[in-house]
Amino acid sequence: MSLTQINPLTDDQRDALQELTNIAMGQAGSSLAMLLDAFVDLSVPRIRVVEVVELPATLADLVGKNILVSAVRQSFQGYLRGEAIIIFGEPGSHALADLMGYEGDLGESSQAELLLDVANILSGACLGGMMEQIRNFTETHGPADLSFSMPSIMARDVPAAQIIDPKKVQWTHSLLLEVNFTIKDRNFVAHLTMLMPEDGIEKIRGIVDEFIAAI
Amino acid sequence: MSLPILVVDDSAMARKMLIKSLPPEWDVSIAQAANGIEAMAAYREGKAAVMFLDLNMPEMDGYQVLEALRQEDMNSMVIVVSADIQPIAQERVMAMGAIAFVKKPISFDALNEILKQYGVI
Repeated sequence: MSLTQINPLTDDQRDALQELTNIAMGQAGSSLAMLLDAFVDLSVPRIRVVEVVELPATLADLVGKNILVSAVRQSFQGYLRGEAIIIFGEPGSHALADLMGYEGDLGESSQAELLLDVANILSGACLGGMMEQIRNFTETHGPADLSFSMPSIMARDVPAAQIIDPKKVQWTHSLLLEVNFTIKDRNFVAHLTMLMPEDGIEKIRGIVDEFIAAI
Repeated sequence: MSLPILVVDDSAMARKMLIKSLPPEWDVSIAQAANGIEAMAAYREGKAAVMFLDLNMPEMDGYQVLEALRQEDMNSMVIVVSADIQPIAQERVMAMGAIAFVKKPISFDALNEILKQYGVI
């Protein structure tokens, strides 16, 4: 149990954030479709406010318990701060080389390179899409820019519950946005989760309230 | 008599934005649905001479609504309103009988252009 109390998002706030995420994900999906030359099915965004200790179980719940995954992390800061974690289902990470038109068996380092590239495209397009919308209706939270760290591999072929070690996270609570991109006939799934700490939750709350008021 | 139109989106906020983007002088009675199942029920009650249809929804999505409409009499002008901007998504819904595709975030001008083009305003 943590001492910090975080108010959950109201239904309206959740709904507005879901729609912002939905629009942003459309742009990310389109970038991925172009890169892989395939039709990408988009999910309905899922939004949760969780305690950090619950993150492993939550990720397992969102991604699936009985599969091995690989994950790439990329932190962002500026107008919003947090971590984008891109999780690839095991068959998907191996199908990537094939989707990108590589022939034969790729070495581990080239495979990792592919995961980093795709992760970078998804998080960049999705967060970029969110920022673009935010810029359209808000001016009061300072310049709406983000900078990204280099993406790095955080896990290879592990159960989703093992991607994050809560002991290494300095936050108590996290806002978690999850969207996923599926290429049905290729067995490819990538989950994009965006995690933001306590102050980020309040910032997002302010943004969506402004969005709601602007409609 | 005002024209019955149906706004289908799982997000209340998105429905509100769409309704706000409609031409103010357009004489319509507006019904709303939060998923495909509600949309089909409203359609069968004659509330959807024009339907603004989102694609990504829980329960029953926009593609399934188009499919269901096709199996009934498709007595509705369906304008798909979606954040999915892949060209293939657009081709698919047009092939399934939608008359137009408008991308989110919705623009007043784009929506009006389409409504004019189809002579509904």
